[in-house]
Formats: sequence, structure tokens, C-alpha cells
Amino acid sequence: MFDMKELQAKLQALSDDYAAQLPEKLQQLEQAWQQLPQPEWNAEGFADLYRMVHSLSGSGKTFGFAALSDVARTLEDYLKPLAAAQTALSEDQRLHVEVLLRELHQVSLHRDIAPGGQEVVASSIDKAVRSRRIFIVEDDHAQAEELQIQLSYFGYTVSVFHTQGDFRQAMQANPDVIVLMDINFPEDDRAGVRVMHELQQGREIPIPVIFITSHHEFDVRLDAVRAGGIAYLNKPINISSLIDKLDNLTSSKPQIPYRVLIVDDSPALTSFYANVLEQAGKEVRTINDPLTTLGPLLEFSPDLILIDMYMPQCSGMELAKVIRQLDAFVSIPIVFLSAERDLDKQLSAISLGGDDFLIKPVQPQHLLSAVTSRIRRSHMLRSFMVRDSLTDLLNHTAIKEQLEHELARAARLGKPLSFAMVDIDHFKKVNDTYGHPVGDLVIKSLARLLKQRLRENDLVGRYGGEEFAVVLVDTDGTAAAKVLDSIRQDFAHLRHLGDGAEFSVTFSCGIADVAHFSNAARLNDAADKALYKAKHAGRNQVMLAGTAPNSAT
Amino acid sequence: MSDQLKRVLYVEDEPDIQMVARLALEALGGYSVEICSSGSEALERAPAFQPQLILLDVMMPGMDGPATLKNLRALPQFSATPVIFMTAKVQPNEVAEYKALGALDVIPKPFDPMTLASQVQAIWDRHRV
Repeated sequence: MFDMKELQAKLQALSDDYAAQLPEKLQQLEQAWQQLPQPEWNAEGFADLYRMVHSLSGSGKTFGFAALSDVARTLEDYLKPLAAAQTALSEDQRLHVEVLLRELHQVSLHRDIAPGGQEVVASSIDKAVRSRRIFIVEDDHAQAEELQIQLSYFGYTVSVFHTQGDFRQAMQANPDVIVLMDINFPEDDRAGVRVMHELQQGREIPIPVIFITSHHEFDVRLDAVRAGGIAYLNKPINISSLIDKLDNLTSSKPQIPYRVLIVDDSPALTSFYANVLEQAGKEVRTINDPLTTLGPLLEFSPDLILIDMYMPQCSGMELAKVIRQLDAFVSIPIVFLSAERDLDKQLSAISLGGDDFLIKPVQPQHLLSAVTSRIRRSHMLRSFMVRDSLTDLLNHTAIKEQLEHELARAARLGKPLSFAMVDIDHFKKVNDTYGHPVGDLVIKSLARLLKQRLRENDLVGRYGGEEFAVVLVDTDGTAAAKVLDSIRQDFAHLRHLGDGAEFSVTFSCGIADVAHFSNAARLNDAADKALYKAKHAGRNQVMLAGTAPNSAT
Repeated sequence: MSDQLKRVLYVEDEPDIQMVARLALEALGGYSVEICSSGSEALERAPAFQPQLILLDVMMPGMDGPATLKNLRALPQFSATPVIFMTAKVQPNEVAEYKALGALDVIPKPFDPMTLASQVQAIWDRHRV
């Protein structure tokens, strides 16, 4: 037999090697691309390029870079027909490749927690990436390019089409995209609506399309709705509200099924309850011996627990008490099942930590609605407790708690961890010049950028005002500085809209590495000081605690 | 002839994939693994190693996976050795094409090192039944 730990360590080492070689590989790819002669077709050079992309798409996920695989795959799929066509690339095609190459660079910093065993995470990323493709159809080149750049900062893959003809051709492949459609074209001042109308004919699921236009007339709006428009944005485009719309459309947050743990000594009853709940899409774990509850409880981490009142080994109330004494389960909904009709006894059960009381025999419908509404309410309450209402990020208390939690985890696993404080530069000026609602939009856009550009398991919180805190798990200070610096650069390029004018904003960032600052208080303090230094050194930069500045621009 | 899978030959041109595949197949599958970096190397070394199963990367410079398979089949001792293709491109019609070439099945790349061995074993078992 083999040692699992040793295997994982070896896999980790291979993944580290892969990570170390990545920058060079990407550089070679970049070179191969740059060296392609522009106006003519070069089969050999293109084949080189294709092979490199193919290699990345076929290896990334194996080494813990699932997002890299996904983007490389998208690029590979795009290059394939071009390789077959054997003709020089058009301006649009070159742009498209460049956007994807840039995205490759960005995602190359995103490493999964451990190589291997990431099937679930990877497939959900896969889904998200696929639905995050956007076709912009806009005859105004400058406007189209600007939109493309802005959207790419938020992780969208964008292709631009300047004519309806090109767009139609691309749609023949039936791609899974969201269309941003200008309405007014030289040949017809409502060409956008007309073309979408035609394309939607006979489709079961309409193509999601957002119209961008300078038309204000009601009849155009009506036409747009009839052509499947899900949103209608007037020019100049407010990027922030466009991203809001897109995020709503693409929020492929997989609906995680509610998890219910059932503890009842009767196997027949548990399997009956389990059946009812499973048929309604819940995930269920059952336990017939209450004394073995703890292991499954911790591992399954249920959203709600159903406990039988009378069991031979221990009573449901006793079990509820034990569960409530575990920190992680202080607020979990517990519902008792019992044949008890005595109201006093029911009340005392509830005072001992139960939330509800279902009387046996339980009607399937009652069981289902009691369980579902309890879970929903507890989730909502929890989200009020831990989320910041403007940004939906973790709030001050929650991010501090999570930092402690992640620190303990990192120490246990011997993994690196970094803590970053991010503060928007001259934010007061934004509020004073454009008003608080615009200031709020700026805060939201940074929140969104951080969320989208960091990994799923990194933690982002709003510390207060214009200040954010980020916990980067499994990441040392140098790597964290790299990631945040690339976000800093992109944030500085974002255009915000206020008073009809566009403006941009920057942020400063201080980072502390757990290798040098061993507990939460010290980390916090060091990151704060580094942030202060970054501000002092001229703002718009990332500073790693205990080192020299990490370059401004 | 034993039905238990022991000797696996993996033909793959990329060194980093070679390493992780060897680790995954040896540690988790318990197989004895031989790696070849090209189709021609596989043709040279396969007879001595006598693999029970061959994993073939599809896209390799020089002799690609399908060409390697064709050449292997021309050797009498490999006329029926089970082969699995490894490839990033797996669409149902492509799987059918690879199977038509004489492959047992296709394992998509990038593969998960933690499950590669069990994928291989499952295909092997299916094939044996």
C-alpha cells in the first residue's frame, strides 16, 4: 500500500514545478503569437501556437489550474477553425485572441487548493466560464473596444463584431453567449432589433440579448422587448449597471441542495423521511444510533437537523443540547419529531434548543414545508449576520472570524496564508464631487472585481467605509502581492460614471504574510501599516509588510 | 494469462504530464508503468515491456496517437492489446471515431491525478467482462 500523505506531497511538488514553469510557458506563447507575421498566413507559426495552447488546456487542471485549462480550451476551440481556414487573421480575430491570451495570464495566478480531487469545483468553473462569453455588436469601433476592455476586467470573454454580417456568421455555430447589441447601424437605424428578431425565430430558449442604444422612443423599446431584449441601456453606457445585469444573467451559482440530517432510532422511519426529502431535492443523511451523531454532523455539515424525541440511547433533547454546545452549530435549526401531544412537553423541548416540533405521524407535506422554511429563514438570518448589505461581502465581524478560522486551518495544514487590506484612494473626493450614490457604486465595483478575480475559497470582506480585507488562502505574501497588484492595475483602468462624466479611481493595498506575522492581530496590524506606507508613498500601489514597495504601475 | 491489470504503457510527449501520470498510476493503481515520449519510442520499447494496456496521447508531434496505434497493431504481439486514448477533445462523435480506430475508450484531458487510476481500472474491468 502507499501513503496518501506522501502521494499528496508528491503531487503538490509536481504542481509546484508546473506553477514555476507557467510564466515561462505563457511568455513563449506570447512570443509565438507576437512573431506570427501579421498580414499573411503562416501555417508553421500557427501550428506552434496551437500546440502550446493545446498543451495548457490538456494539463492545467491536472496540476491544480482548472481555470487555466478552461480558458486555454476556449482559446483552442477558437483557434481550431482558424487553423483549418488557413487564411490571415482579421483585426477582430486578432483582438479576440489577444483578449483570451490576456485572460490566460490572469487565470494563471489562480491555483486550486490542491491538485487533483477538484472535479466538482472545476466543473462549476467550467460552466461559469462558458456562460461568461459575450458578443458585442457595435459599428462604433471605439465604443466597442472600450466595452470589451471594461468587461474583460470582470472576467468576461468578449468578441466584437462591427457588422451584422460578421455577427450572423458567428451565430451560426450556435454559441452559448450573451449578446450586447447596438440598435442603430449605417444600413438601417433599427438593424440591431431586426436582426435579433430574426435570430430568435423558432428558438426554444431565446438568445439573451441586451440592447445598447441612443434611441429613447417607446416603440423602439417595445420592439426590443419583442426581439428578446432582457435589458435596454441608453448610451453612454453605465458600466456598473451593465455588469449588474450581466452578473444576474450569469450568476451560475449552482443551487446547492439543502442538507438535512435525520436522527431517529427507527430505520423504517428514517428512510421514509429521507425519501420524502430526497424526492424534493434535499440531500439527506440518516443516523439510527444517536451516539454516533457527531462524526456525520461535522463532516456533513447539515442545514437542519431532524431529531426523534424518544430514542433508547439518549433523548432527542439531550442530543440537541450536545449539538448546541458545539460552536459551529449554535444557530442550526433543530426540529423534533415525536408522538408527544402534550403542549407543555413540547414547549420544554423547544426551550431546550429545538426550533420546531412535528407530531408523528408526520404528513410528508408538513415535513417538507417545515424543513424548507426553517432552512430558508436560518440562511437569511445568517446572511444578515455575516454579509455587508451594500456589497454582499462578508462584514467586519465575519471576515475577522473567518481570518481566525483560516489561520487555524493554515497552521494545521502547514500552508501559507496572506492577509491584505485594500483602501480606495481619495474616496472622500469621489463622494464630495459626485455624491454618495456614485461613491457607493465605486465601492460595489471594487467589491465585485475582488470577488471575481480572487479564487472561490479566498475570502473578501468589507472592513468598513471604503476599506476591504482579503484573506488569500494557500498563498504567500509575494504571490498575494502579485495577484492584488494585477487587480490594482485593472481597477485603475475601470471607468466610473458620475455627473455624466467618466472618471477613474485607484486603490492602495497592504499585505502581510502569516510566515512573518503569526496571529490575527499581528497580521492585521502589519497589513494596516503596510497599507499606510503604500498611501504615504503616493497611493495606487501594493505594499508587502516588511519589504520594499511592489511597484506602482 | 492473468486478467489482473499490472503493466501499463503510457505514451505521452509532455514531461510534466508523464510524471504526474506515473505517480498517479503507480501509487493509486498499483500498476507497473512504462512511459514513452513518442510513438516511435513506444514501438521500440513495447515488445520488451509487454504491456497489458496502452495509454496513448492523441496529439503528439511526429507520430500522433492514432498513427502509433496503427503501427502497434501491425506488430503481431500487439494486434489485440487494449488501448485507451488520452485527449483534450472529447465530443461524443470523436469518441466514436477513436473507438472505430480500435481504442477501448477515451479518457479526457486534463485528467484528475486522484481518479486517473480508477478510470483506467474501470475501463479495463468493463473490457474484461
